[in-house]
Amino acid sequence: MADMLSIDEVADIMYEMVKEATGMRKLKPMDLTKNLIEGYGEKVDKKLCKNAIRKLIESERCVYTYFGGSYIELPHREGAAND
Amino acid sequence: MADDFPKTPLIDELEKGPWPSFVTEIKMAAKDNAAPKDLLGLLEQSYDEKICHWKHGGIVGVLGYGGGVIGRYNDLPEKYPNISHFHTMRINQPSGWYYSTEALRKVCNIWEKHGSGLTNMHGSTGDIILLGCTTDELEPTFQDLAKEGFDIGGSGSDVRTPSCCLGKSRCEWACYDTMAACYDFTQEFQDEIHRPAFPYKFKFKFSGCPNDCVASIARSDMSIIGTWRDDIRMDKDAITDYASNGMDIQKDVVDLCPGKCIDWDGKELSIDNSSCLHCMHCINAMPKALRPGTDTGACILLGSKAPIIEGAFLSSVLIPFIKMEPPYQEIKDLVEEMWDLWCEEGKNRERIGEFIQRMGMGNFLEEIGVEPVAEMVAHPRENPYVFYEEYYEEDDEEEDGD
Amino acid sequence: MVDLKNRITDIGPPHYEQFLPPVIKANYGKWKYHETLKPGVLKHVSETGDAVITVRAGGSRLMSIQKIRMICDLADKYCGGHLRFTSRHNIEFMFTEEEKIEPLIADLKALGHPVGGTGPGITSIVHTQGWIHCHSAATDASGIVKSVMDDVIGHFEKADLPAKCRIALACCLNMCGAVHCSDIAILGVHRRPPTINHDTLRKQCEIPNVVASCPTAAIKPAEVDGNPSVEIDEDRCMFCANCYTVCPSLPLNNALNDGVSIWVGGKVSNARHEPMFSKLAIPFIENNPPRWPEVVGAIRNIIDVWRGDANKYERIGEWIERIGWPKFFRMTGIEFEKVHIDDFKHAGLTYKRSTHLTY
Repeated sequence: MADMLSIDEVADIMYEMVKEATGMRKLKPMDLTKNLIEGYGEKVDKKLCKNAIRKLIESERCVYTYFGGSYIELPHREGAAND
Repeated sequence: MADDFPKTPLIDELEKGPWPSFVTEIKMAAKDNAAPKDLLGLLEQSYDEKICHWKHGGIVGVLGYGGGVIGRYNDLPEKYPNISHFHTMRINQPSGWYYSTEALRKVCNIWEKHGSGLTNMHGSTGDIILLGCTTDELEPTFQDLAKEGFDIGGSGSDVRTPSCCLGKSRCEWACYDTMAACYDFTQEFQDEIHRPAFPYKFKFKFSGCPNDCVASIARSDMSIIGTWRDDIRMDKDAITDYASNGMDIQKDVVDLCPGKCIDWDGKELSIDNSSCLHCMHCINAMPKALRPGTDTGACILLGSKAPIIEGAFLSSVLIPFIKMEPPYQEIKDLVEEMWDLWCEEGKNRERIGEFIQRMGMGNFLEEIGVEPVAEMVAHPRENPYVFYEEYYEEDDEEEDGD
Repeated sequence: MVDLKNRITDIGPPHYEQFLPPVIKANYGKWKYHETLKPGVLKHVSETGDAVITVRAGGSRLMSIQKIRMICDLADKYCGGHLRFTSRHNIEFMFTEEEKIEPLIADLKALGHPVGGTGPGITSIVHTQGWIHCHSAATDASGIVKSVMDDVIGHFEKADLPAKCRIALACCLNMCGAVHCSDIAILGVHRRPPTINHDTLRKQCEIPNVVASCPTAAIKPAEVDGNPSVEIDEDRCMFCANCYTVCPSLPLNNALNDGVSIWVGGKVSNARHEPMFSKLAIPFIENNPPRWPEVVGAIRNIIDVWRGDANKYERIGEWIERIGWPKFFRMTGIEFEKVHIDDFKHAGLTYKRSTHLTY
């Protein structure tokens, strides 16, 4: 069995994915999970991804947003929706 | 402070008349708080211009949660600075919307300290709505409420705050303990309520009987509606009382029975329970004489929703009858099974009802491991376009049964 | 900064048991029957012989904490500090002594809250935020509700209709309320396709998400003044505002074109007839604040015609099913127009496919 990635490693990979997608496409939590499983196979599973998302959010590197559906994005500037 | 209220001749018209006035409520709150005062001005402007002045604000929340806060900004912040942020917090209501005045006063005190002092009792999904919070006050409001035992509810692509009728607490028709089940499911799925991980929202509503006082069949992805499978309980003396007090049992009860399974010979009422559709009409009409049976449980239906996106749906039958006993493990396992599939294959903003229609109910059942039964359909298919998945070739070996 | 260590999260709602009035707690699951003493006043009797009186008062949904405290004062005075709310914004007071009924009703009246909402009548209108708080509202919610309830309050207080009549209002097609299965639904509608703010769209919205949001594929990527944006095929727009919810740069709100539609004949209860959707009665009524007299009049008309013709227990949808839709339009004087005929998915199922007609 392949060694699993750590929660921090997964969170870091997810953070990079969110950063890269910013301005092009909004990612949902399940997109991150699917991408991770696709890219890292048995080194990750759904539960690990779920914990990593929680870590990503609670570290304040990413935030949940809502635009007709819930997404994970880089923190917006307050009032950015006023733009 | 009341003297410097903005002039609001249009909405003042809505203080007239016998029904409780929301404008009066806003003015009550505005005596001690600048936010509702600005709201009066903004609302007057909307009434004058016939258009709303609110904008999206889907970027605020409390740390760690992705649901329960609805961001809102007005589009005239210079003119109405005290409501430039005016976010909503959804606070998970107690089962059955019961309160002690002590608890409710604590909520009021916290909301007086941190917010506009305006509420909805309650929002459409069932939460206590705290209407009008600035971004900075979200976290302090949340933590002050949490210290009093209240938590934030759902919003966005998560499990929405479950709700229930008052069930066994004050209703003789409740076929299972809706308040206990609602509380249990709410606690079980805390993570799914607070951290949106689904294609779109998922609602649970718990109704104690087919009268469905929380509109579960129209408004929840999973409708859990109490019912029974033995005989309607009957009090013969009470039936005689209804008749002698002038009730036209033939016209008002027998003729309206959709199962046509009641007979009344002028003295005695008889019910063919094997044809009873469990609609509740006879019981509603004669509550002192008739009651649901004692072998009670629930019918579980799936998929109702408002029109966005594919049109409005009513829920349809998934499990015709199930006993409702804690910890409700069979239902929870099924729910997890469905969520896994829906998260895997569902499209953004696709409710589970839409997902089921897209993939086909038959395929959906196969994936979640539920056997199809005739109770699930109004009638079998009318078209012959069956998507058979396998066929035989001439030289196929005959195999026995596996 | 948020104090992560001492933070309380994921506790869920408080347990309901601590809030139950003693008579409710003692008779939980033991209730035997109930009777309606008068509109708005119920008496539930338990197998133990206990009884509880419930007085139901209409609420305005939007309430100030000042009013909630006044209501708490009444609950302290009459109900030992307990109260509850119903799924339709009503407030319920429960106690055991029948002699408290009239003084409580008098106190509620003094506070401006009528008692009723039980049995065959009208109860409080489930509704949405409207211009109070919503970004996609095509009409106000609270103002219409107040105006309609002022007019039909007699049916709230007297329960004098053939059957229950559940009215609901949603201020746009998103329908944050069960309006699609109501006896009478008031629904805010937009009629102008979104205007495109190309400057902000570029910054605010991801074009693939916007394109994907449209159920009729009316939105396509396009280059505008050398910048990426979208274009909208206006003929395909059905004004659902889905795109606006996904992208704030596509507002549909438009004072000239927004208004209200009226839908009838839905129900959620399984009693007698199966649950039904509401169907379109009046496609469009202009917004006429502050009191929307045309909307109030239209609802009054539908209720009066139904009340005059329906049998006992016949809800609006059941009544219409008996008399047929052509007769409904004839009797109410509502004009039948092209837009009454469905043209979305499965529309054919709504065509009349028999000769069962009245002449």
